[in-house]
Amino acid sequence: MTVHNVFVITKNTFKETIRDRILYGLVAFGALFILLDLFLAKLSLGDMVMIKSFGLAGVYLIGTIITVFLGASIIYREVEKRTLYFVLSKPASYGDVILGKFFGLYGAAILTVLLMAAVYLGVVLYQGGGFDVRGFVAILYQLLEAGFFVALLTFLSAISTPLTSTIAAALILFSGHFMSTAVENVKRIGGFTKTFIDAAYYLLPNLEKFNVRNVVVHHVPLSLEPFILSAAYAAFYAAVLLYFAYAFLKRKEL
Amino acid sequence: MIEIKDLKKMYGRRAVVDGVSLVIEKNKVFGFLGQNGAGKTTAMKMMVGLLRPDAGSVSIAGRSVLESETREIIGFMPEAPYFYERLTGFEFLKFCGDLFPRHRKKTGAEYEALLKKVGIFEAKDAPIRNYSKGMKQRLGFAQSLVNDPEYVFLDEPLDGLDPIGRREIKEIIKLLKQEGRTIFLNSHILYDTEELCDEVGVIHKGKLLYAGSVKDFCSGKPLEDQFIATVEAHNK
Repeated sequence: MTVHNVFVITKNTFKETIRDRILYGLVAFGALFILLDLFLAKLSLGDMVMIKSFGLAGVYLIGTIITVFLGASIIYREVEKRTLYFVLSKPASYGDVILGKFFGLYGAAILTVLLMAAVYLGVVLYQGGGFDVRGFVAILYQLLEAGFFVALLTFLSAISTPLTSTIAAALILFSGHFMSTAVENVKRIGGFTKTFIDAAYYLLPNLEKFNVRNVVVHHVPLSLEPFILSAAYAAFYAAVLLYFAYAFLKRKEL
Repeated sequence: MIEIKDLKKMYGRRAVVDGVSLVIEKNKVFGFLGQNGAGKTTAMKMMVGLLRPDAGSVSIAGRSVLESETREIIGFMPEAPYFYERLTGFEFLKFCGDLFPRHRKKTGAEYEALLKKVGIFEAKDAPIRNYSKGMKQRLGFAQSLVNDPEYVFLDEPLDGLDPIGRREIKEIIKLLKQEGRTIFLNSHILYDTEELCDEVGVIHKGKLLYAGSVKDFCSGKPLEDQFIATVEAHNK
């Protein structure tokens, strides 16, 4: 595996991804969705908590949809369309491919989230909320989650079809955000359900670690330590998922 | 020299390539002939390191093809290639070139010269999705030459080309031979193979039925007739 080849594949993947016309449509839709905040601002008589909650939720929701759209077939397409032949018949390894695809897709996901974040920050500024630094922190957390999510999609697309990858990613996303609440709730129920939910809690990633939107809009103090821990958590999960993606791809008969 | 020893590949219980052994000397054009599903493409994929054989080995210039360094000196054009459709022809070629450590410093002019060589220079800045089948075939051919390879593996290089395109690609193959390269091509267009190749191998149901000079194989008869006779004799 060479850093240079990873970079070459990253650049190629990024270029390919950001030229997708459907992506432009989704980003435009996302921007419009966030601009709806202006309408909401009028309805809520300029309530900044409402404006920020809606805007940040919009950036998260559309950003996640775009990431799924871009990533659900990232490796599958390479195998099915046999474009991998061009890469692997050259001095490039499976590891180069997995990492290059991951970083290229992650780069595109970061770009789209930042574009929508710019719209969000513009809306808050226009509504007299100044430059929303705390909102930007929530976006940074979202980008950490996106890193995990892109790695998950890279792994899923290496082992299954785009439809299966999409469904599995959606389920993991849902359970990842829901699990900490579920663990609290099943304490009262006990029995097998509790054992099952506890096991799932430790097995599945806890994506609520990346959700600081409520903390941000309600002005709860923020510190650097949880951010660093969340970054390490995302990096650990991403590394494990990418390793498995590599192992599965290497076993595939091209 | 390309040396293939007792190469075998199984898909389930079926041997797709079954004990193929071949030696191809340097600076030869070798045509690998066979019906659809005979095992040509699977064998070629093992030769360029895309597939791992279940048994046997492939060495090129004395080194295993599974070593990354060996792939520095080979070029491969897959059959009916698919591309990154949103890239331009030039970008795609540069992407392929950048994957070779020795060719990273290749200039834009060098890539353009290669695109001129295969006759798609005018379309260099157009997205590949706008290319015709023939243009894609030429781009696939160009990327196989991007590292100035000593050994070129071409899987059905003349497929999808019009007669003029076929003639042009054949001229380039002849030129590559003149430049001292070794060419291994899969083909079922026997007329062209006869014109281009010094040696042929006939593969049928995974087994190598013949390997040797075209002249000896044909013994005065058309290649197509000899090929059919060889395959039918094996079927009996």
